Amino acid sequence: MKRFLKNVKAITPVLSNVLLMLIAVAGMSIAIAASYVITGNLHDTMGERFIVEDAWFTTDEIAIYLRNTGKVSISVAAVYVNHTSRSFTALRIEKEGHGWLNITYAWRANTVHHINIVSSRGTQIVDYYRSPT
Amino acid sequence: MWTIIDRRLKQDKRGASTIVAVALSLVIIVVIVSNVVLWSYEMNQLDWEKMNEDITITDVSRITNSSWFVAQSEYMVNEGSHINGTYEDTESAEEGLWETFKERQPPVRLDFNGTFIIDSSTWSLTYIQTIEIQLRYRASDSGERWYFKAYNWATERYSDDGFNSTVGHMPTTEWRYYAVNLTDQWRSYVRDDGTIYVKFHDESPDLPPNRTSIDIDFLGMRAVIDGTCFTFRNEGSVTLHMVSLWIINSTLHQRYDIDLIVNSAETYSYIRADISLTSGSYAVKVVTERGNKAVYPVEV
Repeated sequence: MKRFLKNVKAITPVLSNVLLMLIAVAGMSIAIAASYVITGNLHDTMGERFIVEDAWFTTDEIAIYLRNTGKVSISVAAVYVNHTSRSFTALRIEKEGHGWLNITYAWRANTVHHINIVSSRGTQIVDYYRSPT
Repeated sequence: MWTIIDRRLKQDKRGASTIVAVALSLVIIVVIVSNVVLWSYEMNQLDWEKMNEDITITDVSRITNSSWFVAQSEYMVNEGSHINGTYEDTESAEEGLWETFKERQPPVRLDFNGTFIIDSSTWSLTYIQTIEIQLRYRASDSGERWYFKAYNWATERYSDDGFNSTVGHMPTTEWRYYAVNLTDQWRSYVRDDGTIYVKFHDESPDLPPNRTSIDIDFLGMRAVIDGTCFTFRNEGSVTLHMVSLWIINSTLHQRYDIDLIVNSAETYSYIRADISLTSGSYAVKVVTERGNKAVYPVEV
């Protein structure tokens, strides 16, 4: 113990090694966390699937019934009717869930409508729907 | 050898740290790549299964009654005697077998009852309109009328209160049908689990030695409903799980939760007593868990 206390020079390499280890551990932790976040997002995007069960034209509204057939929950981020963004009721569907997406739109009778539904991760469902007469 | 490597590593500390960093980076890269490959395999499997699904609706028809429910155990003879046959001989009118009962010695009477159970899992009691009881029988003489009664679970006695006919039926020596229905009073005669006790008895004591024998060819009951039968066919190579049923007309898009499994190459008839198709045009749509759909136009 006396030798250790007398040899002040020896403390510096110990401290420097400990510091280097801490830096290395911190660096690896950041790298692992970043890869976890990146792959997590990738996983969610790859696992996203949803379908339109039904489209119902009601007064000044188009109701689309969505079903989540994928592995992650989905949120509808945007809806385009005839290539124009339209307002809609916020909708989040859990895995295996389903629900109505109500789009505000004054549709015209017996007309084909191009509807594009975009999820928050960028998945799109695009189809044509003819309104009733 | 190890001493040389050890010495070199000690001399070139930068080289050692590079190796460690590369090794750790490789671990991270391998983990990421393997995860991506596994997830893409999983999703490809999902998409492949979806592509292999092939569901068809082959028929949609209105149904007004259930199948026949027959006795599941031997009839209990309260008065009179059992001559021959078993309750199984009364399950169908087509097989040419019957069960025979005979009035007892003075007082000359015949009275027996059976237990019938309505399958309430298929025919929900909520949507039953009434119950019909039907008998195919013949008697050795036409000397008196014969009657149905059912056990009233509210009053705890056999009764025919509320039956559409309480005048009984005059038999012949030929096979004849005798049917009654329990009108809107049927719920008093059906226990919550679907059990009905039905009694068949003669009008009054005969004069001895005239002992009538009764042959029962068929005795059963059925529920009167206003429902719909959907027939699905799985023409794909994978088992189907159907989760949604849609009834669509010009004014309403009605969705029903369903939970049906249909094996590959199998046809399945699905009865819904709560779906009544009144006159008009409909589109019936069914959706599978994997996201495939089948549509069938109906004109009622």
